[in-house]
Amino acid sequence: MKSETFFTVEMPYRERMEIRRTVYRGGDGPRVAVVAGIHGDELEGLYVCHLLAAWLEELQRNSPSALIGSIELYPAVNTLGLDTLTRGVPVFDTDLNRAFPGSPVGPLPSRLAAALMSALSGSALVVDVHASNIYLREIPQVRINQEFDDTLVPLAQGMNLDLIWLHGAATVLETTLAHSLNSCGTRCLVVEMGVGMRITPEYCDQLVAGLLAVWQEMGVLSPDTLIPAKSHTPLIADDSNVHYLNAQTSGMFIPTASHWTDVRRGELLGRIVSPFRGDILSEVRSPVDGILFTLREYPLVYEGSLMARVMARKGEKQ
Amino acid sequence: MTAPVREGFDIPCHEIGPKSSYPAAAFVAGLHGDEINGVFILSRLADFLNSVEAGKYPELRLLKRVLIIPAVNVLGVNLRTRTWPFDKTDINRMFPGSTTSETTQRIAYAVLEATKRAEYRIDVHTASTDFEEIPQVRLYGPTADEHESARLFGFQAVMERTFSPVFTTTMMCSWKVWPGQSFVLRVGQAGTVQLEHCQRVFRALVSFLGRVGILEGVQIAVEDEEVCFFDKPSAFRVIAEKAGTFVSDRQVGRWVSVGQELGYIYDSFGGNVIEKVVSPVAGLLTGIRRHPLLFEGDLILRVNRKS
Repeated sequence: MKSETFFTVEMPYRERMEIRRTVYRGGDGPRVAVVAGIHGDELEGLYVCHLLAAWLEELQRNSPSALIGSIELYPAVNTLGLDTLTRGVPVFDTDLNRAFPGSPVGPLPSRLAAALMSALSGSALVVDVHASNIYLREIPQVRINQEFDDTLVPLAQGMNLDLIWLHGAATVLETTLAHSLNSCGTRCLVVEMGVGMRITPEYCDQLVAGLLAVWQEMGVLSPDTLIPAKSHTPLIADDSNVHYLNAQTSGMFIPTASHWTDVRRGELLGRIVSPFRGDILSEVRSPVDGILFTLREYPLVYEGSLMARVMARKGEKQ
Repeated sequence: MTAPVREGFDIPCHEIGPKSSYPAAAFVAGLHGDEINGVFILSRLADFLNSVEAGKYPELRLLKRVLIIPAVNVLGVNLRTRTWPFDKTDINRMFPGSTTSETTQRIAYAVLEATKRAEYRIDVHTASTDFEEIPQVRLYGPTADEHESARLFGFQAVMERTFSPVFTTTMMCSWKVWPGQSFVLRVGQAGTVQLEHCQRVFRALVSFLGRVGILEGVQIAVEDEEVCFFDKPSAFRVIAEKAGTFVSDRQVGRWVSVGQELGYIYDSFGGNVIEKVVSPVAGLLTGIRRHPLLFEGDLILRVNRKS
């Protein structure tokens, strides 16, 4: 195990910002990477990196030859954001995941993006772990731009997650890490799970099992290495079967349905209420039979705030 | 729109001049709540045009309808935040918007609907709170008409830029789908009112309205400076090779010579001079850093060389 600094910059008053990765080198097999903390309010991926580090360190102690390739962990890319509870890059007020592929000369987020691109380029597989935001809870899922679905869906199928969401190409998403890596031939999967500023240990365990399984399949880990069993098979969603529920009015959203449960068309999912009055401002009902895979975590809503997403099961009549 | 625990809110606008189904000119500012120069300029323009309509300037006549939205991000202006304060999203990354999606997308949709049919559409911005830009027209992939009309503001600098993917959800990009001409103005820095810049831009907007035939009777001053068109390769940037405290008393909009001293970087702890900052070329100082604290690699200033 080796800790390396892949980007460093001098700050105005006597400090340096250093962004580190942890590298586990085995043999000449494929090189893979996990990236987390691009958004400073998303912590799920940091815990995933810890669990992987703990598992790999035990592997190196007990069975050092089992690691055939190399595994790189980038747990805290937006170091200053994570240190200060800030989603974007502090001072620069920039969403780092809209700064890729970046440039060696330019604003700090752009240089950091370029350094990360350079560090990851050539990996056999990169997994970029996100945790929704502070407003919404997400079931563990892989999100794939349909531009790259041929190569990425087979990998995502083995990731032990609950959902694969294929989304249409949006030009603005070309500035993400995943799109930039996939465009230059380095395969990258985006995982979304949990909620911002919190850790969901069972989701993290689930993803770790999936990562180890995929890496074993790729030849990063020897075939006889004992890894946790997979227990989840993903459903497939795309723009045709995902239904968004946005708030009709402002107030407090109080859910009545549980996350990741089957719901029926017309079923009550929650209510919008006022803290000033006793009546109910709006009822939120499912538009279809399906699965409630996104549920609002932060109660206050403005008109238009997303409260839930329901996925109709593919092939089922609505 | 309603709000969770306060009164409902709206985005007020001025509609001035003869009634018509859509405005001849639409002015928008304050998509970012901290860009106060634009809010101030457009509120002053509204006051002026309302005075014209009230007959206080008998030599002037408003021939066509003008729409002015001094601030789109109303709560952001009141709370001094660039983004929409509730969810910290950038309204100028939400276009073309929609009537059924997130709050900021609904706001974007409403602003686009109100402005998109105007013959001339002008979106006023500033740089960030860290940097000061010369008042300028920014053209993004301009049509021949836009290229020609950009001169009519009479600014020293017209900056020509190409669209990057990150701009595809901006209001300017949505405007360009529609017939008519679209311009972004960038004026000074965020977080303050820079009176000299604001007065200059106010005069420029009145001149523009006169030149395109919307405001009759405007006395157009003969410009004492030519309008320079600058493309990206004409820009020479000075980047901080070391971190520290940058201090300069230079003003944007001045012509500088190669090697001319423009500021100093000091060691923030030791107080000693680390670097003398000089102009890399002879040209127009079009932007300079105003926040003193520098990270290594930060942009300090930009000089544009005349082609």
